[in-house]
Amino acid sequence: MKAKTLLAFLCLALPALAQTESQWVLSQSTLTYHVSHPLHQTDGVSHAARGKGVCHSGQCDFLIAVPVKSFDSGDSNRDLHMLQVTRGGEFPMVVVRTSLPEDASASATIHADIEVQFAGQTARYKQVLFELTKQGNDAKISGTIPATLTDFRIDPPSLLTIAVKNEIPVRVEMTWRKEK
Amino acid sequence: MRMRAKKLVTGLGISMLLLCLSTPLRAQVTATLAGTVTNQSGASVSNAKISVKNLATGQSVKTQSDSAGLYHVPNLVPGDYEVSVSAEGFPTSTAKVTITQESNQTLNLTLGGVLSLGDLGFSPAQTQGSAQDQARLDKRSHMLKLHQRIGLIATAPIVASVITGTFAGGRSTSSTDRWTHLALGSAAGDLYFLSAYYAIRAPKIQGTETHGPIRLHKILAWIHGPGMIMTPILGAIAFDQKSNGEKVHGIAKAHGPVAIVTAAAYGAAILSVSIKW
Repeated sequence: MKAKTLLAFLCLALPALAQTESQWVLSQSTLTYHVSHPLHQTDGVSHAARGKGVCHSGQCDFLIAVPVKSFDSGDSNRDLHMLQVTRGGEFPMVVVRTSLPEDASASATIHADIEVQFAGQTARYKQVLFELTKQGNDAKISGTIPATLTDFRIDPPSLLTIAVKNEIPVRVEMTWRKEK
Repeated sequence: MRMRAKKLVTGLGISMLLLCLSTPLRAQVTATLAGTVTNQSGASVSNAKISVKNLATGQSVKTQSDSAGLYHVPNLVPGDYEVSVSAEGFPTSTAKVTITQESNQTLNLTLGGVLSLGDLGFSPAQTQGSAQDQARLDKRSHMLKLHQRIGLIATAPIVASVITGTFAGGRSTSSTDRWTHLALGSAAGDLYFLSAYYAIRAPKIQGTETHGPIRLHKILAWIHGPGMIMTPILGAIAFDQKSNGEKVHGIAKAHGPVAIVTAAAYGAAILSVSIKW
């Protein structure tokens, strides 16, 4: 009888144990790139990022993607020019991948190795610092990706024959919601 | 005994010669690595970037998959290689392969990852770009750069013709003043319309709403554009009247004011896209 009970328990419990996956969904985001030029300081902002994280066996894989053309710098002509120099017609998405331990959400800071696909190139950034604050099921993450134009083989655009700086830091502010 | 030694030396010499000749021939043996790039559902992936790295020399050869997902890398010397493949929306996948002396070797590559762009709700139309879209953007930027450069060059004869206009339109003007003004005005007009041609003919990008300083730049074109048509017409009438010894009269009197408004709108149009508001 005991053996039957144990067997029944195992039959019921094993599928449940196998489904320990949880997932994170990006609920809000603000991504801002900054371009420096002696005459202009430009920020391009996008709220159009979508993201998902899938956790399994203590490890979470995250995928975040945002259309290149969703960045708005306040001038449609500049945005189209940016779309051209970043080869956004051919490569319309910025795709970011990272993998983190599931318990990373318990700490106040995260050091993430991230892979960014942009302009037909892939760049990897090691140990990028993000600050994390938790509010219930939500986790707010903010940090800056130290991107440069040369990382993605982008010719620096110029205004009045003066090229913009190579550094284009991308400020990331995201709210993730945990779903079982 | 000496004969045997001589034969041995000759044999060795021939063997060495054959070895020397055969080594370059052996070094030229290369193989082609080819295959198909697919995603996890088996669909072919075009424009995937494939890098084939010789692990002994560290040298890499790069190629891209075609529209059917096919790729091929010729002229690989035998050895161990690391093949990495990446594509828009997929993480980089790597595989090891040993190239032998067979002329053709197949290595099918599968792009994977726990999550794909489809999982985020993006449609293929959103995630897949095209060379045509990029070519359209490239052409637009190229034409607008020409518009900008020629437009900036046109500033010089526009300013000069406004200045010389004050001499050409006065009471005691000479025909030289008028001709100088006419020449500068013509140069300004030619450059202006050439610049305008590139702005008007630059490809439009669908789904883009004009906003920001470029909006003001375009609105000002509705002032300096008609002005650049009216100014030479009125100028020609004024030129004839002056050449006939008459005082500028009638509609021709508007030549100066129209030219000044046109030049001011033109200057404001340049500033609208040069200075951050």
